[in-house]
Amino acid sequence: MTAPPALEVVNLRFRYPGSTEDVVHVSSLRVDAAEAVLLTGASGSGKSTLLQLIAGLMDPAAGTIRVAGREVHALGGAKRDLFRGSSIGMVFQTFNLLQGFSAAENVMAALMFSEVPKREHRGRAVELLKTVGIETPDREVTRLSIGQQQRVAVARAAATSPAIVLADEPTASLDPDSGDAAMDLIQSTCASIGAALVCTSHDPAMRSRFQRVESLDRLSAPSQQQPTEPAGA
Amino acid sequence: MAMTDFTIIRRSMTSRMFSTVTTIVTVAVAVTLMLTLLSMRDSGRRAFERGTGNMHMLISRDASPLVSVLNGIFYADPPARPIDQAKLEELGDAFPASFFIPTQQGDSYLGLPVLATVPEFFTRFSPDPNFNPDARPDEPNGSPWVFAEGRAFERSFEVVFGARAARETSIQLGDRIVLTHGTDVSRKAADRADLFEPHVHEEYEYEVVGILEPTGSAHDRAVFSDLTSSWIIHAHDRRKLEDPDVAATTEADLIPADRLVTGIYGRVATRPGSNVSAVIPSVLSGLRTDPTITVAQPKEEIDSLFNIVSNIDQILIAMAAAVLVSSGIAIMLALYNSMEQRKRQVAVLRVLGCSRGRVFGLVLTESAVIGLLGGAAGVLGALIGSQTVAGALRARIGLVVDPVFEPRLMLAIVLGTVLLAALAGLVPSVLAYRTPVAKNLRPIG
Repeated sequence: MTAPPALEVVNLRFRYPGSTEDVVHVSSLRVDAAEAVLLTGASGSGKSTLLQLIAGLMDPAAGTIRVAGREVHALGGAKRDLFRGSSIGMVFQTFNLLQGFSAAENVMAALMFSEVPKREHRGRAVELLKTVGIETPDREVTRLSIGQQQRVAVARAAATSPAIVLADEPTASLDPDSGDAAMDLIQSTCASIGAALVCTSHDPAMRSRFQRVESLDRLSAPSQQQPTEPAGA
Repeated sequence: MAMTDFTIIRRSMTSRMFSTVTTIVTVAVAVTLMLTLLSMRDSGRRAFERGTGNMHMLISRDASPLVSVLNGIFYADPPARPIDQAKLEELGDAFPASFFIPTQQGDSYLGLPVLATVPEFFTRFSPDPNFNPDARPDEPNGSPWVFAEGRAFERSFEVVFGARAARETSIQLGDRIVLTHGTDVSRKAADRADLFEPHVHEEYEYEVVGILEPTGSAHDRAVFSDLTSSWIIHAHDRRKLEDPDVAATTEADLIPADRLVTGIYGRVATRPGSNVSAVIPSVLSGLRTDPTITVAQPKEEIDSLFNIVSNIDQILIAMAAAVLVSSGIAIMLALYNSMEQRKRQVAVLRVLGCSRGRVFGLVLTESAVIGLLGGAAGVLGALIGSQTVAGALRARIGLVVDPVFEPRLMLAIVLGTVLLAALAGLVPSVLAYRTPVAKNLRPIG
């Protein structure tokens, strides 16, 4: 029996309440296990919204999203949250680390909501941090450099060995060299844990890093309405 | 150590240390106030009730029955106007007495009040209202005085120490002491120049022959001396004024003007098994026809006092409850204000797999923990505060109050505080529950 794809999106539509136009419209998108895909599109084209829909943080108007074979939006409330915690890793442009907590605690926060036994949390977090080059796991994250914070964020995303990692403009806050390093880390980490990677970016230079590049415009079916991005979104 | 919900709660509290501490202090003050008031109210009433003992009446020449009780039983101030020997004998014949115990106050030892009295004070009178000195041996009875060490005075110039008085002065059996004329209270009231150089009856030493067990009454901090000895030392002062060369004074030198008392503890004879008598009202009525004396029924005076005080109590307790509610509002405001800063944290936790319900629970638990810490600090504060108040009562009016905290009451107030705090945390918890994740993950600015 073949493993289900890491991500499968079919006829997905999303619009904000009160709006008459779709912000996201994806006819079909399939990402296999361990595959890395770059999603491109202009700023405000709905890339981040799509990732949040995949993560189950927002509900679509129509369509289905399956992650590792599970239909995300068929899961209710807490079950969806737990599924996200264990099957989906997220890396953000601004890292979104928990302020006031150490690097290890940030990684362990991801493990809190997983089925990983508590006694393994600390060891696993320290090991992961070491893998991404953080040797001071107990240092509070605001005392780490920007690059180190990005590494902690990557370690946190990989902590539960998710089926897929969603990286939302992960290099947008970094200079080119740091961005390259961050992408190396994200891609190598995903590869090492066998996770698929869906990365969004409006940076054309990122294309060379991915064998597969998808444009949001191209993902919508020609017969259907083109997505209209809200001004300034 | 793995991250737990309590790690998140602890960090949330410590990251806003000032706000957290001030909120906890606010709760603690309210709980302290509430517990102290409740404890002091009950303990105070018990202390007052114990102090009146088994007497039916207190006769003095104080200005009012209440003043008479406060002075004659609770050592608030030495009675100023004495009763002479002739009146004492006249009163002694006025009713069928179970006991008729003259007392004299006015001297002190190291600031402790001295009550000069007769040996019947230890055999007939008792601080226990249920003690009937006329009860048959086989009859259920209250407690008489109990000596921790030694015995009652039997001869002149012997003294007995109350339990607290002995403890405060570290006195031992066989120690010899001299008494001081007047008390701190009386000297201050009279604005006497000898406040810091009081007259000491140094010609006459007393021997400590007994130390009493605690009774929980004001008598615990008194020193009891023989009445005749007290007359002698004061007669000696009188005689020294008349003749500076006078060597010593004995009972034979006493004149009627020396034989003064300041109070009389009286009890009407009762039937076995009873502490009341049908003749008490008529005895009191008869005595009250004499305008030169004040006749007080101690129990009634204390009841009247507490009827007045209980209204104030209720107001104070209502105020303490209002402060407690205010502290709940303070918790709500502190958490509510912090929610703006915590939206991103909540959003990140949600991304990591934390459910809305768990986020709700985290904030609610944090609120309850603040309530619990405030409640616990309040209990500690009440234990210290009530001792301070008890010390002040003892020092100022001589009332011995041993604050007693009912464990169930303390538990109920702490649990109530936690519940109140949890209620106060509902609004911030709902805010956390409803925090939009996507919106709060966006880059700032």
